[in-house]
Amino acid sequence: MLSFVIRRLAVAIPTLLILVVLSFILMYAAPGGPFNSERPLPPEVLANIEAKYGLDQPFWRQIVNYVVSVVTQFDFGPSFQYKDRSVNDVIAQGFPVTLTYGFWSFVVAVTVGVSLGVAAAIKQNSWIDYFAVGVSIGAQVLPNFVMAPILLLIFTLWLGWLPGGGWNGGQWQFLIMPVIALSTSYMASIARITRSSMLEVLNTNFIRTAIAKGLPMRRVIWRHAMKPTILPVLSYLGPAFVGMITGSVIIDVFFSTGGIGQFFVNSAFNRDYSVIMGITILVGTLTILFNLVVDILYAWIDPKIRY
Amino acid sequence: MPLLEIEDLMVTFDTADGDVHAVNGLTFNIDKGETLAIVGESGSGKSQTAFAAMGLLAKNGRATGVARFDGNDLLAMSQKDFNKIRSKDMAMIFQDPMTSLNPYLRVSDQMAEVLMLHNGISKSQAVTEAVRMLDAVRIPDARARVTMYPHEFSGGMRQRIMIAMSLLCQPRLLIADEPTTALDVTVQAQIMQLLGDIRQDFGTAVILITHDLGVVAGFCDRTLVMYGGQIMEEGTTEGIFGNPTHPYTSGLLKAVPRLDVDEGELVTIAGEPPDMSNLPKGCPFSPRCPVQLENCRGERPPLETHDGRRRSCHLAVSEVA
Repeated sequence: MLSFVIRRLAVAIPTLLILVVLSFILMYAAPGGPFNSERPLPPEVLANIEAKYGLDQPFWRQIVNYVVSVVTQFDFGPSFQYKDRSVNDVIAQGFPVTLTYGFWSFVVAVTVGVSLGVAAAIKQNSWIDYFAVGVSIGAQVLPNFVMAPILLLIFTLWLGWLPGGGWNGGQWQFLIMPVIALSTSYMASIARITRSSMLEVLNTNFIRTAIAKGLPMRRVIWRHAMKPTILPVLSYLGPAFVGMITGSVIIDVFFSTGGIGQFFVNSAFNRDYSVIMGITILVGTLTILFNLVVDILYAWIDPKIRY
Repeated sequence: MPLLEIEDLMVTFDTADGDVHAVNGLTFNIDKGETLAIVGESGSGKSQTAFAAMGLLAKNGRATGVARFDGNDLLAMSQKDFNKIRSKDMAMIFQDPMTSLNPYLRVSDQMAEVLMLHNGISKSQAVTEAVRMLDAVRIPDARARVTMYPHEFSGGMRQRIMIAMSLLCQPRLLIADEPTTALDVTVQAQIMQLLGDIRQDFGTAVILITHDLGVVAGFCDRTLVMYGGQIMEEGTTEGIFGNPTHPYTSGLLKAVPRLDVDEGELVTIAGEPPDMSNLPKGCPFSPRCPVQLENCRGERPPLETHDGRRRSCHLAVSEVA
């Protein structure tokens, strides 16, 4: 197992390098630059600024410099847009916010999704099943850019129960709506996967054996059916978790939460190369990391898997 | 009082293509310590009879009639009461040992939970008991292997584990649903040998469900031949094999390949198994039967008892070839 983890982490390094180079090339290929604006700067000024940020150097030189500073000093460079702030500052400010509402969204999506899916499967074709399927289809077809304004309309404008936006250090009143808006579609997918997986498991021979042993249904479900049911859910949860903790621009825009989702999109518009790179690498690293975590959990649940 | 009494059992499945009648008015008994073979081809309703008795029918299945264990009607019993009987008094082993054990749990856990549930003993006592039972079914090195997972055992070993698990509470009745079908021939013989020993050592009554007549011959006191969810013939195994009185039974016996007689080619029963959603009005075997009397197709023959032998056929016993 340990050698598997080490091997996987070793593979992650070239993967990340390829990710860096590809994103760098894409950005380089996109027209415009961070200092282009409606009113063109005098060429001398532009040349000066570009020299300051190293943009005057040849492409390969820029990449090498970037990678070296990331690897050796963990320095993602200065932001091109926010004066006097480094990419590390931007991420340090935005990521904790995203991580907080993303984590809670994950908790909500998993708890509600798995419970709904299991309940629906156990009571297949009952009103519970229809309700669960209805909720998950509803949640799936309601994108968060529709969900967010509806929530704001109901809870802020009509009922006045919750603040319409802001973060305030992540107080619960400020968390509720972002978490609901972000978690619903994930919750719906988890419920659907759980339901079909559980239905399949309940039809297996070993569940029949468990029932024939005289075990009460609750024990059959929890002890015999839960592990195989959760496996397909788990492979969805890895990328879903990364998706949630790296946030969403929709959430950041509608609820003014100030997470990295918004920084990411803004930096793309502004050609803020270093911020784009920083967040891309962050998401890439997290994706690789949590796929690894999923693989480890798989081996932990399924005894047939040995690395 | 018989250990298990099945009376006029009907099993029906509600499917998209209409009702499928898997078992149609089946009646039989099994006494304490007795062995009964239920023989028939695929789709004859033999397995569904067992599932109905164990309360394991698929969700769309429905059993009516009477299935009494020890005088208690299993079909009218609450799940909670049923769970006190299952595995404790009446256990079952299945056709496919490769998939019948939970691949995600250790053998020790799967076996121990039966004893912890029914006998209320501690986990460590239960595991000790499980090892003893694995020894009894001749799993080599059981003490070390009990903590392994099912995939670490071969098919024959897994069926032994299933048998050991089913015997943990020393049930009075063991239903074996085609226990050797999925195993290769040498392993089949070992498993049958094991079941025979167990019956002697524990005094367990056994219902052996099979389509393999060779397996039945040396093992069971009585044999019940089923077709189309109904009894064709029932009697002592000796009587059924030595002197079949039903055209279906004779057909089955003739279809067993023999090495000592050169028959040229394999003998089969002509025709197709019946469509269980649309059974003939008369005898279910009538479309394939070599004997065709005028009332065979129109009238279901009554089940008659004669000399401890039951049969359902319009043809007089004396005229059976």
